[in-house]
Amino acid sequence: MKELLRELCLTDGVSGGEKDIRELIIEKVRGVCEYRTDPLGSLICFKKGRKSPAKKLMVCAHMDEVGFIITSVRSDGTLTFGTVGGIDPSVIIGRQVVVCNYVSGKRYNGVIGSTAVHNLSKEEREKSPRTDSLYIDIGAADKEEAEKYVSPGDNAFFTSGFSELGERRILSKALDDRCGCAMMIQLMHEELEYDTYFVFNVQEEIGLRGSQASAYSVDPDFAIVLECTTAADIDGAEGAKKVCSLGGGPVVSFMDRTTLYDKELYCLAFDIARENSLPCQTKSMVAGGNDAGSIHVSRGGVRTLTVSVPCRYLHSASGVIEYADMENSYKLVRLLTERIHTL
Amino acid sequence: MNIKETLFALCSADGASGSESPAAQLALDLLREYCPDAEIVSGNVIGRFGVHTEDKPSLVLDAHIDQVGMIVTHITDEGFIKVSNLGGLDLRLLPAQPVTVHGKRDIKGVVCSVPPHLLSGSAEVLPIADTAVDTGMSKSELEEIIAPGDPITFDVPCRELLGSRVTAHALDDRSGVAAILYALSLLREMETAFNVTVIFSTQEELGERGAKIGAFTVDPDYAIAVDVSFAYAIGEKENKCGKLGKGPMIGISPCLDRELSQELIACASAGDIPYQVEVMEGLTSTNADRYSVNREGAKVCTVSIPLRNMHTPVEVIDLADVELTGELLAAFIGREV
Repeated sequence: MKELLRELCLTDGVSGGEKDIRELIIEKVRGVCEYRTDPLGSLICFKKGRKSPAKKLMVCAHMDEVGFIITSVRSDGTLTFGTVGGIDPSVIIGRQVVVCNYVSGKRYNGVIGSTAVHNLSKEEREKSPRTDSLYIDIGAADKEEAEKYVSPGDNAFFTSGFSELGERRILSKALDDRCGCAMMIQLMHEELEYDTYFVFNVQEEIGLRGSQASAYSVDPDFAIVLECTTAADIDGAEGAKKVCSLGGGPVVSFMDRTTLYDKELYCLAFDIARENSLPCQTKSMVAGGNDAGSIHVSRGGVRTLTVSVPCRYLHSASGVIEYADMENSYKLVRLLTERIHTL
Repeated sequence: MNIKETLFALCSADGASGSESPAAQLALDLLREYCPDAEIVSGNVIGRFGVHTEDKPSLVLDAHIDQVGMIVTHITDEGFIKVSNLGGLDLRLLPAQPVTVHGKRDIKGVVCSVPPHLLSGSAEVLPIADTAVDTGMSKSELEEIIAPGDPITFDVPCRELLGSRVTAHALDDRSGVAAILYALSLLREMETAFNVTVIFSTQEELGERGAKIGAFTVDPDYAIAVDVSFAYAIGEKENKCGKLGKGPMIGISPCLDRELSQELIACASAGDIPYQVEVMEGLTSTNADRYSVNREGAKVCTVSIPLRNMHTPVEVIDLADVELTGELLAAFIGREV
């Protein structure tokens, strides 16, 4: 699953521009399920199990990642941009990016530039930059040259390698939510007990958009959202402020900013973890949100649970997960997809 | 000499201030092609170019070999590495920045980034004392490899942009090193008007300390600091910056020798070498400031390569400026045989 995760993370797919990542996922699931792409671009898959259950289960993850969209070309050849999804400017400034021309598909190296630190006032040096004070530099000498290669509306992506950090951890961009995608693809290659819908959603990062449409289409009774969530167990963070920790196993929360989860499903997850000696943790703060927010209120309501892999530095080019958390999340989800039908 | 290949090799060798050995060793190897007797003296790479004769004044070509970075100060019980800065870092860009920690072996790390829920809306930049590096290792694992005092550098590949522009970390001042090497390659078949000594100096980013002792050791009559300076992009002050691709920036300042500045300008004009003038009101914050007051004093000037995003992992230069800088230095020093 690690190799699969690497391939998924290194393929770009900003919200609204998920074509490449969707094609990769299709390549991975072709032959093991029926699938179709919905009007927004979400990939809706159906896999037969040994039994057809009384109630319909949908497992989902989002395929989009945070990134950038070019908004204008300036006289000096640099580009202004907006963020697609929530990205803190402190993890944007001083990074390498790739700008992709929508029409030609050609890619250009760039960097996120800003005024040199030497030329800032003391107040400016001590404040995070505003995103609109940053620019993308692809090396164009002037506006005319830049416009030959890039147009407003083109996307830009973080670039980062996919590497091991120490012996247990992985450092990469887009772990949110390629972790979820990788677990789903893996699950789709297993023999399933029950018929199951698997949905790879678009546009999660800009407000849970893809899942709103796909949940309507699938019309499930149960939903399990596979996610990657903020772990704040970093230097200086104490107690509840850590929210969740690397190495603590899958994260199953009772509530986040978009959803109050189904209590029975929440308890079932911890029961399964206990019975199978899997580590499992909840969030110690009400923080974050994901596609569960749109799914659980879809149509007449869907009983929903989210299982997340904890990740440090989530919306940056340098997310960090502990691989064992992903393996344990996978085991938990696999058991959940069977036990959920006993409710 | 292939300028891009040389420069990318130099930028890929690490040399945070005070731990310049890998970069200095590579620069020494490259310099020996032109100065066979070059050696490392108290950290500085020093090489005499050509035959020195008593009738000629002495001139130092200096570029600093160090780069900004961080240094390990402490390992916490949770396995985070606490750090301090080496040189003038832009602390605004540290969160989630990938780094390499240079201990008994190199290990990957990432600077901790505080998630939004712990910031409670504050946009204050974290002071360096509260900054930590995450390596994915425990304290005991780390203590086998890392100790306080070990250097940390940004982990970022060199990449080409459009045209002849490139991005890398440590272009400040490996660009200067490359420009000097290129000048020497041009001068190889020529006489020189000076007894030239090259110094690739340490610890510039900590206050030009390597140049201070290097200047004393060589004791030149003239010195040219080949460094980088600010290149314009929207957001910078146009009158304080050079432009990328428009040639070397020749310094004029009360602390530089005005006659030497003028000679360099005349030399560029005569050779049709594009150049820009960089006027400074006081000290230049380059090694030139050290050479000028060395021993009984020396005549100095700056020749700078324009660069965007100084002291960041994404510095940007135009390779044409490195080439033109080398040409200017060669034109100034060389005489037809």
